[in-house]
Amino acid sequence: MLVIKILGSGCANCKKLAYLAERAVNHLGLEAEFVKVTDYAEIMKYPILSTPGLVVNEKLVSSGRIPSDAEITTFLTTALETA
Amino acid sequence: MTIAEWLGRLLQAGLGNLAAYLAAHVLLCLVPAFYIAGAMTALIPKESVTRFLGRNAPTWIAYPAAALAGSVLAVCSCTIVPLFAGIYKKGAGIGPAVTFLFFAPAGNILALVYTGGIIGADLAFARLALSLVFGIGIGMIMALIFQRAEARREQAGEDPFAAKGGMRRPAVAFLIVLVVLLLAGTFKVGLFTNTYAEVRLPISGADRFQGLLSSLVPYDASRGEEGVTTQGAVLIGLLVLVGLTSWKGFERIHEGFTSWTWLALGLTALTLLTAAAGMSPHTGGVDVRFTGRFFGVLLALGGLAWLIFRRLSEDERRDWLWESWRFVKQIFPLLVVGVFAVGVIRELMRPEWIRVLAGTNSLLGNLAGVLFGVFMYFPTLVEVPIANMFLGLGMHRGPLLAYLMADPELSLQSILMISVVIGRLKAWTYVGWVAVFSAAAGLIYGSWVDGAGIGLTTVYLSSFLAVLAAALWWANRRSVRSLPLHQT
Repeated sequence: MLVIKILGSGCANCKKLAYLAERAVNHLGLEAEFVKVTDYAEIMKYPILSTPGLVVNEKLVSSGRIPSDAEITTFLTTALETA
Repeated sequence: MTIAEWLGRLLQAGLGNLAAYLAAHVLLCLVPAFYIAGAMTALIPKESVTRFLGRNAPTWIAYPAAALAGSVLAVCSCTIVPLFAGIYKKGAGIGPAVTFLFFAPAGNILALVYTGGIIGADLAFARLALSLVFGIGIGMIMALIFQRAEARREQAGEDPFAAKGGMRRPAVAFLIVLVVLLLAGTFKVGLFTNTYAEVRLPISGADRFQGLLSSLVPYDASRGEEGVTTQGAVLIGLLVLVGLTSWKGFERIHEGFTSWTWLALGLTALTLLTAAAGMSPHTGGVDVRFTGRFFGVLLALGGLAWLIFRRLSEDERRDWLWESWRFVKQIFPLLVVGVFAVGVIRELMRPEWIRVLAGTNSLLGNLAGVLFGVFMYFPTLVEVPIANMFLGLGMHRGPLLAYLMADPELSLQSILMISVVIGRLKAWTYVGWVAVFSAAAGLIYGSWVDGAGIGLTTVYLSSFLAVLAAALWWANRRSVRSLPLHQT
């Protein structure tokens, strides 16, 4: 079971990232819990410079941009392997 | 005059202003600027600039890097505030963070190009240069004032500034050609403005169409208003088409490119080419003049097409289009509403009010400009048409610059957001310094406009900076003395 966090205050890119991550999870047939982190103090606890940020199992995997489908899939599968 | 008539006139004024702003010269700068901003966001890795902002960065690297980050990485507040918080909390500290915060709204490509296109290159350049110098100045003052508070701040956790990143060569070439497109569309030199070929299109009724436009949107050139030309009407039609196809083609671009995507890009190119050509309607039809500008834009578009199809990767193409579209979606609707509102307000304002208050380069005039900037909030870029309205109503260019420098940096909304990050005391200190610096910038630039000459302006600027440096030195000595020895 993966815990996926989307860091961002609700700007267009955060919504897009959330949508893409959900789609990738469905494609892979995984089970995941999605958490949207909008509180700024909470976001700054991760080593992040700009939003949107993607956190898989408490590890920041991408920030400041929207990763491509292939990248998101890689993030998810690596997280599954290490879990 | 009845109320209905009065409202009708206001509506007409708003629409007229909007139509004039969507005219050729604005499109040629604004459309490429949106695509450049998108390309910068998508293709320049943030790490390539932010790695100079880490907590161990020396002063002489951190401040210029913060200014560079302001002009390259941040276009809208969506990026500015998070990056500001990041630089402050995890990077080089409050000084560079404030430099970044101050410079970003004035130094980014959209603001620069839009100011230059609408008000004039001189004001755009003054805004850029003075924002840069004063941004670094305010950053250093803040760093000194809050030196002790800074020293106490814990700096824990991973350093997000350590990452490195570079750009691929095709991406660099792509950005350069985009800038060439912008320059070809906006530079006013003979090479571009001369006509090299002319075609007469036999469209009957073109002159009557122009007459209809002039009666729909009457204008008074003496008050700084612009009318709508036939070319302008064609361009507005094309823009609406570009907007519709972009919505279909770019909104779901992460699912893949569709024919709508290519149609939108093709129409955008057609719009730029139409805007670059000259058009004059008369009884026999429409004369289309192929200017140097037209050929310059054509060449640049050809280069871009080649790079997009042959050199950029699928991911780069997609990210570029998505980021550009995101900026358009976020900024353009507010800009349209803002420009419409400016047209209405201009109808209600009396030029005498502006002339009495800020018609000359006085201290009072500059302070009025700053005060208006602090207490009014306008969405990104709307400050530019507002400034242009003031200019048309007789405002002096000095106070105008003071207003332009203060407005995008300060608004009640942004002050609140900043104080969440750095605390109320620091936020209001920052506000105070911005007000002082903006008024000084207006006074100095205004005296240059009034014909003070390069020499005298340099003297003004350097003596202002000298007073500042002396104050800084004095403050520094005092704070060093008052610091207990073991705290070094």
